Amino acid sequence: MPSSQAGYAPNLGFYLKSLKAQPVESSIENLISLLKRRQITNSRPCAVATAHLLLQVVAKFRWTNVNKLIERIQDVGRRLIEAQPREMVVGNIVRRVLGMVRDEAKEDRNDDASDSASNSQMGSPHQEHSDQGTSHLGGPPPSFSPLRFSTTEDSDSTEANGDDVFGGKPQTASRPPLITSHTSYAPAGGLPPQKSMFQLLSANPSPASTPSGAQSPHNTSSLNATSLSHRITTSSKDLKAEVIEGIEEIVDELDQADDRIAAQSLEYIHSNEVILTHSSSKSVQKFLLEAAKKRKFTVIIAESYPNDHEATHKSVTRSISTDAEGADELSTPKFSKSLSDAGITVILMTDATIFAIMSRVNKVILATHAVIANGGLIAAAGARIIAKAARVHRTPVIVVSGVYKLSPQYPFEFESLIEYGDPGNIVRYQDGALVENLEVDNPVYDYVPPDLVDLYITNIGAHAPSYLYRIVADHYKAEDINFDKPELQ
Amino acid sequence: MPSNDLPAPAPAAQAESSTPIQQSEAPKLTGAELKKQKQAEKAARRAQAIQGKHVIPAGPPPAVQKGEPKQQKRRGSTAGSRDLPIRQPESNAAPKPPPVEDKTVEFFRHLSKPHRKTIAGTPKDIHPAAQILGMQFSTYVICGSTARLLATLEVFKELVQSYVVPPRTTLKLHFTTHVLNPHIGYLISFRPLSISMGNAISWFKREISKVSIDLSDAEAKKMLCDAIDVYIRERVTFADQAIAASTTEKIRDGDVILTYAKSSIVQRSLLQAHEEGKKFRVIAVDSRPLHEGKNLAETLANAGIEVKYCLINGLSHNIQDATKVLLGAHAMMSNGRLLSRIGTALVAMEANDAEKPVIVLCETVKFTERVALDSIVLNEIAPADELVIPGGALEGWRDVKKLQLCNPMYDVTPAEYIQMIVTESGCVPPTSVPVLHRLVNEPEIQ
Repeated sequence: MPSSQAGYAPNLGFYLKSLKAQPVESSIENLISLLKRRQITNSRPCAVATAHLLLQVVAKFRWTNVNKLIERIQDVGRRLIEAQPREMVVGNIVRRVLGMVRDEAKEDRNDDASDSASNSQMGSPHQEHSDQGTSHLGGPPPSFSPLRFSTTEDSDSTEANGDDVFGGKPQTASRPPLITSHTSYAPAGGLPPQKSMFQLLSANPSPASTPSGAQSPHNTSSLNATSLSHRITTSSKDLKAEVIEGIEEIVDELDQADDRIAAQSLEYIHSNEVILTHSSSKSVQKFLLEAAKKRKFTVIIAESYPNDHEATHKSVTRSISTDAEGADELSTPKFSKSLSDAGITVILMTDATIFAIMSRVNKVILATHAVIANGGLIAAAGARIIAKAARVHRTPVIVVSGVYKLSPQYPFEFESLIEYGDPGNIVRYQDGALVENLEVDNPVYDYVPPDLVDLYITNIGAHAPSYLYRIVADHYKAEDINFDKPELQ
Repeated sequence: MPSNDLPAPAPAAQAESSTPIQQSEAPKLTGAELKKQKQAEKAARRAQAIQGKHVIPAGPPPAVQKGEPKQQKRRGSTAGSRDLPIRQPESNAAPKPPPVEDKTVEFFRHLSKPHRKTIAGTPKDIHPAAQILGMQFSTYVICGSTARLLATLEVFKELVQSYVVPPRTTLKLHFTTHVLNPHIGYLISFRPLSISMGNAISWFKREISKVSIDLSDAEAKKMLCDAIDVYIRERVTFADQAIAASTTEKIRDGDVILTYAKSSIVQRSLLQAHEEGKKFRVIAVDSRPLHEGKNLAETLANAGIEVKYCLINGLSHNIQDATKVLLGAHAMMSNGRLLSRIGTALVAMEANDAEKPVIVLCETVKFTERVALDSIVLNEIAPADELVIPGGALEGWRDVKKLQLCNPMYDVTPAEYIQMIVTESGCVPPTSVPVLHRLVNEPEIQ
């Protein structure tokens, strides 16, 4: 983690302030360049920035169709991820938002379908044969309905592209044909399910199956989709509000994650324990501080030289707020207490001392940069030797991490996740000859395999590393996992 | 710690002075007056406690309070008893100055000794060479077990040469107790003895005791100096040659040698292997605060060896590339464990995990009969201020309550991580350390 520059360099605080004033496109560019220049670093600031940006994207994007919104988010997400692929939280947040949009849309569609079902029933009582089909949409889904949904979605996206080509109908313009679309929908959506299934399976849809309206020359399912999208338009206002609310919930979660984690601290830290941690993580600090309210223990901090030692030193001496994160800069400058203020004995040491002191340590608490689906984690360099030394001494290793750091990605080449920092931190240019003759290596992160971790504490509870894949499945949708890599989809 | 001895007398003095005064002066105050003042004091204290919650006022405020009673005491003794009634309850109720915080880490408290930093206050009979050496120890100009051993022996030689036997005594009876021991004590005040120095000193004392009474002083001196020369040649110079030769044999073309910090014998072996035309790479791992590995990396790179330099945070990333791990030693314990620069255990652990052979290069002069299970029992604690980066946030660390800096010099590597120890008497497993130690360092036992 390269230390964030003090002074006037733009950081998260400035960025969030600028978000409202600027047009969305320049906000996106702005965040991309901030990420590229590493002016927003570390998981939480990146997550917060991404969530706020997506909020703006959703709020300001004029969309007629959920799929267009999803595409738009995917597009923004792809650009952000490309800007800084190693800040995995950016992708996590984008995926969370995508999954949330899909959920909302699905819910909305279900509601709508039942609406229209009743509508068509009332408006066109003669089409009684259609009841069966439409009621399937609204009611508890029969076995084939998911299939049906997926087909409509697929064709829907092609439709959306077509819309783009024709200049994209503005929202208001699409309102008047509402009724017609409903009526046209009724026969289309109301086709007996057997028939639509047949169309699905048949390679060449027979022209006979084309409904009387025949707006779409190709097949009925695309027509089906058109009408669906029109219907969605009607409810897009609500959907938009719901999506925005959903993103705000994610933002809230980001804010509260540390507190939720800290609330569990008393279960893990007991009196007179010796806790080893490293670098200057806010989550860990809060966790320890919360426990310090009730109990007295000793904290040993490895300084994480050369990339994070300054922040670590500052956090123990309380020169400034723990990490120059900027999230706090929005509110009044609140100074969190340092551990030693809370009556905790703090021992600062170099990373090399880890093995020597480990025989006296009761628990190791690690902060993390990202957690990956197999239960391993990416953390500040040095975490791996800490975890290994802990295993040698049979000391439990606890990882403290918000769920937002949990990434659905499972890279098989872990080296690809490791970021290398400025070698100038190790060998300075004043060293002259050294700079020219030496190859200098300065990894910023370490990969810690899951077997070195005993427990994960997240804002939703404590889990074994082997259980993390379940949490991944709970938080992300399978179709979003590789959205940034079309070749894998 | 200069702050340590300053305020310490204050509470004692205060206690001494205030109790008799209290007894004599108490009747002068009316009971009501006393009560009032006490109540006020209590309230003030309570308010203070609420303000600071459970945090006891740190640093500066107690210093002021500490100063006050001292002054008052002095005034009280000279100016008479007029202002005593006011002062007395004040000193009575003043919160006890918190005991000066011990900034040493509890785990290592048994090892923490103040280190002499300057030659100011040197006893007058200390040889200048010892003073210079002391400063060199203290500033790490001479650092490393072997270098310190050699430098110490050279100083001993100078001591012997400049020694004038006082009348009515002999070198054998007088030198050890009156010259050698004070000088050793003086050197220890800069840095504790290394194991090799301890071995050499006990050998040297044995040599002195062996000096025949019949020899003239000049002959005795010459004999001792020669003995030191022989010792250096046998135990260090030739030993290093032998170790370097057998290590070089073990380096093959295409090897990637990972080493930690700086060991003179590792450096020598690598340079020798390079001179012999072996093609290999070196990964030099290093750590704060001494950065000794930088020196090694520089030397090797200047000699034309391909060197990669990283700090201990890059260890996990580089261990996979290595084919062999060469480590220097501060000492080999009799239970086969290696005492070496702090961080060595981590390197050995990672190497063991990655299944890379760990080879320790160690002269037998560094073997000791002592044993250690962990790095805390036997260690050397360097001054904590060495961890402070100039201009960094740590500069004011002593003012931060309950913050301690931990700066041990060595750690103990478990024997199971070590595959081989290369000594001048051959390559042995860690289990053979006590045997070899008995053979070479304690000849009289046989």
